Amino acid sequence: MVFDRIQTGILIIEPETHMIIDANDHAEALLGVKKDKLVGKVCHDFVCPAHCGECPITDQHKTFHNTERVLLSASGERIPILKTVAPASVGGKAYLIESFVDIRDRKRAEERKIALLAYLNESVLRIKNPLELTGQNLNQIEQQIGSGEYTPEEIRMQIRIQLNNIMAMAATLQDLAKKASEEREDIPDGFREFFIGK
Amino acid sequence: MADNPEQDLTRETRLYLLLSAPQDINSMNLAVIKKILKEKDTPLIISLNQPSQVLVKSYAKEGITPDQYYVIDAVTYYSGGSCRPDPHIRYVNHPADLTGLGIAITEFLRQIPSSRKCIIFDSVSMLLIHIPTASASKFLHFVVNKLKISDVSGIFLCVENGLDPVILSQMSAFVDKIVDYEEIKNTLLPKQGP
Repeated sequence: MVFDRIQTGILIIEPETHMIIDANDHAEALLGVKKDKLVGKVCHDFVCPAHCGECPITDQHKTFHNTERVLLSASGERIPILKTVAPASVGGKAYLIESFVDIRDRKRAEERKIALLAYLNESVLRIKNPLELTGQNLNQIEQQIGSGEYTPEEIRMQIRIQLNNIMAMAATLQDLAKKASEEREDIPDGFREFFIGK
Repeated sequence: MADNPEQDLTRETRLYLLLSAPQDINSMNLAVIKKILKEKDTPLIISLNQPSQVLVKSYAKEGITPDQYYVIDAVTYYSGGSCRPDPHIRYVNHPADLTGLGIAITEFLRQIPSSRKCIIFDSVSMLLIHIPTASASKFLHFVVNKLKISDVSGIFLCVENGLDPVILSQMSAFVDKIVDYEEIKNTLLPKQGP
């Protein structure tokens, strides 16, 4: 009863054969496979990409404790999970209890955070530094006016360039704010690589 | 490559990203063009910052005559100014007109008779006002490739901290060296009198 109510997928696996002995409702839901189709099958077909004889637990003696992995559902969706595998003894017989938590929401939040950081970074680059340059250019124009060496048309052109640039920066800022508020997930690859090293 | 970047600036076909503080970017432009002329190279200035009319005047004050350099002017039309025909100047409608800039660069590189040419891109920071960093990065890659194929040197001016780490890492792969103007300006600028 409790086994089927918790929001963690659980599979009970026989270590010698890697056969699934039991699965809870949440495991069924995440995998998209009914329990009767899971029980009696080997775990490699559902929750682990390792080949037979290369089981990371029983053959390579690795540990999984809240380790990030990907679950392949019956529909082909790759679901990010946190996986834990723990040995357990039931009625004197050894089993592996494989539990996994769906972390799609967390992943989406991480992606969103990266996207927002990317937009923030882009805003700084395309607004702050150009504004500093614009300030410097206006300072120079002021000196040119005082020098009397530049014609009114040359001064007007330069002021117009700075004005157009400020308007371009305002439009950029508006555009970036709009993209950020739209919760877009199209993070530029460069930023993705930079922020999460993938 | 020599250890001192000032020594080999433009001496051979070289691609540099030159970084400066915002207040130094115009003096950096001037110092770089003087250095290029001293090396007997022909400078092609791609100006996204100052109209050619103003550049001509600034250079003239330093004794640099308009027949010594070429300009791709991307801001005169943008400012509503008059685009006076000049064989040494090509006008592009807008700083974000990357196609226009690409065509003007290609045509000038073909047209300039000197065998030793060096472009000054002024500046990467101004380009970022008009286009996203990803597009700027692609365009700069295109320009760098064009220069490499044509055996032309290039100096890209940029405000320090004006590049995001992604572009900077990409640019560092494109160019031969990233140079801080602060480190070399004493060797580029003329000595002040007593």
